[in-house]
Amino acid sequence: MADPRLMDQEFQRLMRSLVESGRALHYAELSKEMGCSVEEGRQILLAVMQAYPIGWLHPDTDYIASFPPLNSLPTQYRVTVRGEQKWFAQCGFEATSVTWLFPGTSVRVEAPCLDCGERMVVEMRDGSLVTVDPPGIVGHLNYGFGPSRGRPPFL
Amino acid sequence: MNLFRSEEHARRWSQFNPRSEEGFISLPELAGFFGTETRHHMLDANYLSAWFPKRAAERRAFLEQIGKASPFWLGTPSPP
Repeated sequence: MADPRLMDQEFQRLMRSLVESGRALHYAELSKEMGCSVEEGRQILLAVMQAYPIGWLHPDTDYIASFPPLNSLPTQYRVTVRGEQKWFAQCGFEATSVTWLFPGTSVRVEAPCLDCGERMVVEMRDGSLVTVDPPGIVGHLNYGFGPSRGRPPFL
Repeated sequence: MNLFRSEEHARRWSQFNPRSEEGFISLPELAGFFGTETRHHMLDANYLSAWFPKRAAERRAFLEQIGKASPFWLGTPSPP
Protein backbone atom coordinates (compact mmCIF):
# COMPACT_ATOMS: atom_id res chain seq x y z
CA MET A 1 0.00 0.00 0.00
CA ALA A 2 1.31 3.41 -0.95
CA ASP A 3 1.99 6.08 1.65
CA PRO A 4 -1.40 7.69 2.48
CA ARG A 5 0.19 11.15 2.47
CA LEU A 6 1.44 10.62 -1.06
CA MET A 7 -1.95 9.29 -2.09
CA ASP A 8 -3.63 12.40 -0.69
CA GLN A 9 -1.09 14.53 -2.49
CA GLU A 10 -1.58 12.78 -5.83
CA PHE A 11 -5.35 12.81 -5.45
CA GLN A 12 -5.29 16.56 -4.92
CA ARG A 13 -3.05 17.18 -7.89
CA LEU A 14 -5.32 15.08 -10.06
CA MET A 15 -8.48 16.82 -8.90
CA ARG A 16 -6.94 20.26 -9.26
CA SER A 17 -5.56 19.48 -12.70
CA LEU A 18 -9.07 18.57 -13.77
CA VAL A 19 -10.46 21.76 -12.30
CA GLU A 20 -7.77 23.88 -13.94
CA SER A 21 -7.61 22.32 -17.39
CA GLY A 22 -10.53 19.94 -17.78
CA ARG A 23 -8.28 16.90 -18.01
CA ALA A 24 -6.44 14.76 -15.50
CA LEU A 25 -2.65 14.75 -15.51
CA HIS A 26 -0.88 11.62 -16.73
CA TYR A 27 1.07 9.78 -14.03
CA ALA A 28 4.36 10.73 -15.66
CA GLU A 29 3.42 14.39 -15.30
CA LEU A 30 2.27 13.80 -11.73
CA SER A 31 5.53 12.06 -10.89
CA LYS A 32 7.57 15.03 -12.00
CA GLU A 33 5.42 17.42 -9.96
CA MET A 34 5.67 15.21 -6.91
CA GLY A 35 9.39 14.64 -7.20
CA CYS A 36 9.21 10.87 -7.44
CA SER A 37 10.09 8.39 -10.16
CA VAL A 38 7.64 7.75 -12.97
CA GLU A 39 7.05 4.21 -11.77
CA GLU A 40 6.44 5.39 -8.20
CA GLY A 41 3.93 7.87 -9.56
CA ARG A 42 2.19 5.11 -11.49
CA GLN A 43 2.00 2.90 -8.42
CA ILE A 44 0.57 5.76 -6.37
CA LEU A 45 -1.99 6.38 -9.10
CA LEU A 46 -3.08 2.73 -8.98
CA ALA A 47 -3.41 2.97 -5.19
CA VAL A 48 -5.43 6.18 -5.48
CA MET A 49 -7.82 4.61 -7.97
CA GLN A 50 -8.25 1.60 -5.70
CA ALA A 51 -9.06 3.89 -2.78
CA TYR A 52 -11.40 5.99 -4.93
CA PRO A 53 -13.28 3.27 -6.83
CA ILE A 54 -15.97 5.60 -8.11
CA GLY A 55 -13.41 6.73 -10.69
CA TRP A 56 -11.84 4.47 -13.28
CA LEU A 57 -8.98 4.03 -15.68
CA HIS A 58 -9.65 3.32 -19.31
CA PRO A 59 -9.59 -0.51 -19.66
CA ASP A 60 -6.14 -2.01 -20.14
CA THR A 61 -4.41 1.33 -19.68
CA ASP A 62 -3.22 3.64 -16.93
CA TYR A 63 -5.13 6.55 -18.45
CA ILE A 64 -7.62 8.25 -16.18
CA ALA A 65 -11.01 8.17 -17.85
CA SER A 66 -13.12 9.25 -14.92
CA PHE A 67 -12.30 11.06 -11.71
CA PRO A 68 -15.66 12.15 -10.36
CA PRO A 69 -17.31 14.43 -10.29
CA LEU A 70 -15.41 15.31 -13.47
CA ASN A 71 -14.43 13.12 -16.43
CA SER A 72 -11.33 13.24 -18.58
CA LEU A 73 -13.22 11.23 -21.17
CA PRO A 74 -15.96 13.43 -22.66
CA THR A 75 -19.55 12.66 -21.72
CA GLN A 76 -22.80 14.31 -22.73
CA TYR A 77 -22.67 16.39 -19.53
CA ARG A 78 -20.82 19.51 -20.64
CA VAL A 79 -19.81 21.89 -17.91
CA THR A 80 -19.29 25.61 -18.42
CA VAL A 81 -17.65 27.91 -15.87
CA ARG A 82 -16.96 31.62 -16.40
CA GLY A 83 -17.99 31.27 -20.04
CA GLU A 84 -15.56 28.42 -20.73
CA GLN A 85 -16.80 24.95 -21.65
CA LYS A 86 -13.87 22.67 -21.03
CA TRP A 87 -15.16 20.21 -18.46
CA PHE A 88 -17.35 17.12 -18.47
CA ALA A 89 -19.21 15.58 -15.55
CA GLN A 90 -18.98 11.83 -14.98
CA CYS A 91 -22.75 11.42 -15.13
CA GLY A 92 -25.98 13.28 -14.54
CA PHE A 93 -25.83 12.68 -10.80
CA GLU A 94 -22.23 13.76 -10.39
CA ALA A 95 -23.03 16.79 -12.51
CA THR A 96 -24.86 18.24 -9.51
CA SER A 97 -21.68 17.93 -7.43
CA VAL A 98 -19.36 19.84 -9.76
CA THR A 99 -20.53 23.07 -8.12
CA TRP A 100 -18.40 22.21 -5.07
CA LEU A 101 -15.23 22.36 -7.17
CA PHE A 102 -15.88 25.97 -8.16
CA PRO A 103 -16.90 27.80 -4.98
CA GLY A 104 -18.51 31.19 -5.42
CA THR A 105 -18.97 30.64 -9.15
CA SER A 106 -21.87 29.64 -11.35
CA VAL A 107 -21.51 26.19 -12.87
CA ARG A 108 -23.66 25.46 -15.90
CA VAL A 109 -24.30 21.89 -17.03
CA GLU A 110 -25.80 21.30 -20.45
CA ALA A 111 -26.74 17.88 -21.77
CA PRO A 112 -28.98 16.39 -24.41
CA CYS A 113 -31.86 14.27 -23.13
CA LEU A 114 -31.15 10.62 -23.96
CA ASP A 115 -34.73 10.19 -25.14
CA CYS A 116 -35.25 13.13 -27.47
CA GLY A 117 -31.87 14.81 -27.78
CA GLU A 118 -33.29 18.15 -26.70
CA ARG A 119 -31.11 20.31 -24.48
CA MET A 120 -31.32 20.40 -20.70
CA VAL A 121 -29.66 23.07 -18.58
CA VAL A 122 -28.87 22.95 -14.89
CA GLU A 123 -27.02 25.88 -13.41
CA MET A 124 -25.82 25.83 -9.82
CA ARG A 125 -23.90 28.09 -7.49
CA ASP A 126 -22.44 26.90 -4.19
CA GLY A 127 -24.77 23.91 -4.21
CA SER A 128 -27.97 25.84 -4.95
CA LEU A 129 -29.97 25.37 -8.12
CA VAL A 130 -30.07 28.65 -10.05
CA THR A 131 -31.49 27.58 -13.42
CA VAL A 132 -33.34 24.40 -14.34
CA ASP A 133 -34.52 24.22 -17.93
CA PRO A 134 -36.90 22.60 -18.53
CA PRO A 135 -38.22 22.80 -14.97
CA GLY A 136 -39.24 19.12 -14.91
CA ILE A 137 -35.71 17.67 -15.16
CA VAL A 138 -35.33 14.51 -13.07
CA GLY A 139 -32.52 12.17 -12.17
CA HIS A 140 -32.82 8.48 -12.96
CA LEU A 141 -30.86 5.49 -11.70
CA ASN A 142 -31.27 2.63 -14.14
CA TYR A 143 -29.79 -0.35 -12.27
CA GLY A 144 -29.52 0.59 -8.63
CA PHE A 145 -26.32 1.22 -6.72
CA GLY A 146 -23.83 -1.40 -5.74
CA PRO A 147 -21.37 -3.67 -7.50
CA SER A 148 -23.59 -6.73 -7.14
CA ARG A 149 -25.78 -5.51 -9.97
CA GLY A 150 -22.95 -5.83 -12.46
CA ARG A 151 -24.04 -2.97 -14.64
CA PRO A 152 -22.05 0.03 -15.83
CA PRO A 153 -22.21 2.68 -13.13
CA PHE A 154 -22.88 5.40 -15.67
CA LEU A 155 -26.27 3.90 -16.38
CA MET B 1 -27.27 7.89 -13.48
CA ASN B 2 -28.66 10.30 -15.97
CA LEU B 3 -30.79 13.41 -16.20
CA PHE B 4 -33.93 13.47 -18.33
CA ARG B 5 -36.34 16.22 -19.28
CA SER B 6 -39.06 14.40 -17.34
CA GLU B 7 -39.95 10.95 -16.05
CA GLU B 8 -41.80 10.25 -19.30
CA HIS B 9 -38.67 10.97 -21.29
CA ALA B 10 -36.75 8.51 -19.12
CA ARG B 11 -39.37 5.80 -19.66
CA ARG B 12 -39.15 6.31 -23.42
CA TRP B 13 -35.34 6.00 -23.37
CA SER B 14 -34.32 2.96 -25.44
CA GLN B 15 -32.16 1.60 -22.58
CA PHE B 16 -34.70 2.22 -19.82
CA ASN B 17 -34.72 -0.67 -17.38
CA PRO B 18 -38.36 -1.55 -16.58
CA ARG B 19 -37.23 -2.56 -13.08
CA SER B 20 -35.98 0.94 -12.37
CA GLU B 21 -39.30 2.63 -11.68
CA GLU B 22 -38.06 3.44 -8.19
CA GLY B 23 -34.93 4.99 -9.69
CA PHE B 24 -36.33 8.49 -10.11
CA ILE B 25 -35.10 11.36 -7.97
CA SER B 26 -36.05 15.02 -8.14
CA LEU B 27 -33.35 17.51 -8.99
CA PRO B 28 -33.45 19.27 -5.58
CA GLU B 29 -33.08 15.88 -3.88
CA LEU B 30 -30.26 14.97 -6.22
CA ALA B 31 -28.46 18.23 -5.47
CA GLY B 32 -28.81 17.43 -1.78
CA PHE B 33 -27.68 13.84 -2.23
CA PHE B 34 -24.57 14.92 -4.13
CA GLY B 35 -24.04 17.97 -1.98
CA THR B 36 -23.56 16.44 1.46
CA GLU B 37 -20.77 17.63 3.75
CA THR B 38 -17.94 15.51 2.38
CA ARG B 39 -18.54 16.93 -1.11
CA HIS B 40 -17.66 20.39 0.19
CA HIS B 41 -14.13 19.17 0.88
CA MET B 42 -13.14 17.66 -2.46
CA LEU B 43 -10.37 20.23 -2.82
CA ASP B 44 -9.00 19.74 0.69
CA ALA B 45 -5.49 18.35 0.98
CA ASN B 46 -6.69 15.36 3.02
CA TYR B 47 -9.89 14.60 1.12
CA LEU B 48 -9.00 11.04 0.15
CA SER B 49 -7.87 9.93 3.61
CA ALA B 50 -10.15 12.02 5.82
CA TRP B 51 -13.35 12.81 3.93
CA PHE B 52 -13.98 10.21 1.26
CA PRO B 53 -14.20 7.33 3.77
CA LYS B 54 -17.10 9.13 5.49
CA ARG B 55 -19.13 9.36 2.33
CA ALA B 56 -20.87 6.00 2.37
CA ALA B 57 -22.48 6.60 5.77
CA GLU B 58 -23.40 10.12 4.77
CA ARG B 59 -25.04 8.95 1.55
CA ARG B 60 -26.99 6.28 3.38
CA ALA B 61 -28.25 8.77 5.95
CA PHE B 62 -29.39 11.17 3.24
CA LEU B 63 -31.16 8.45 1.26
CA GLU B 64 -32.98 7.30 4.38
CA GLN B 65 -33.96 10.90 5.09
CA ILE B 66 -35.62 11.25 1.68
CA GLY B 67 -37.31 7.86 1.88
CA LYS B 68 -35.02 5.96 -0.49
CA ALA B 69 -33.90 3.23 1.89
CA SER B 70 -34.50 0.31 -0.48
CA PRO B 71 -31.77 -2.08 -1.65
CA PHE B 72 -32.01 -0.43 -5.06
CA TRP B 73 -30.75 2.86 -3.63
CA LEU B 74 -28.64 1.62 -0.77
CA GLY B 75 -26.63 -0.73 -2.93
CA THR B 76 -27.40 -3.82 -0.90
CA PRO B 77 -28.43 -7.10 -2.53
CA SER B 78 -32.15 -7.45 -3.17
CA PRO B 79 -33.98 -9.84 -0.85
CA PRO B 80 -34.42 -13.34 -2.38
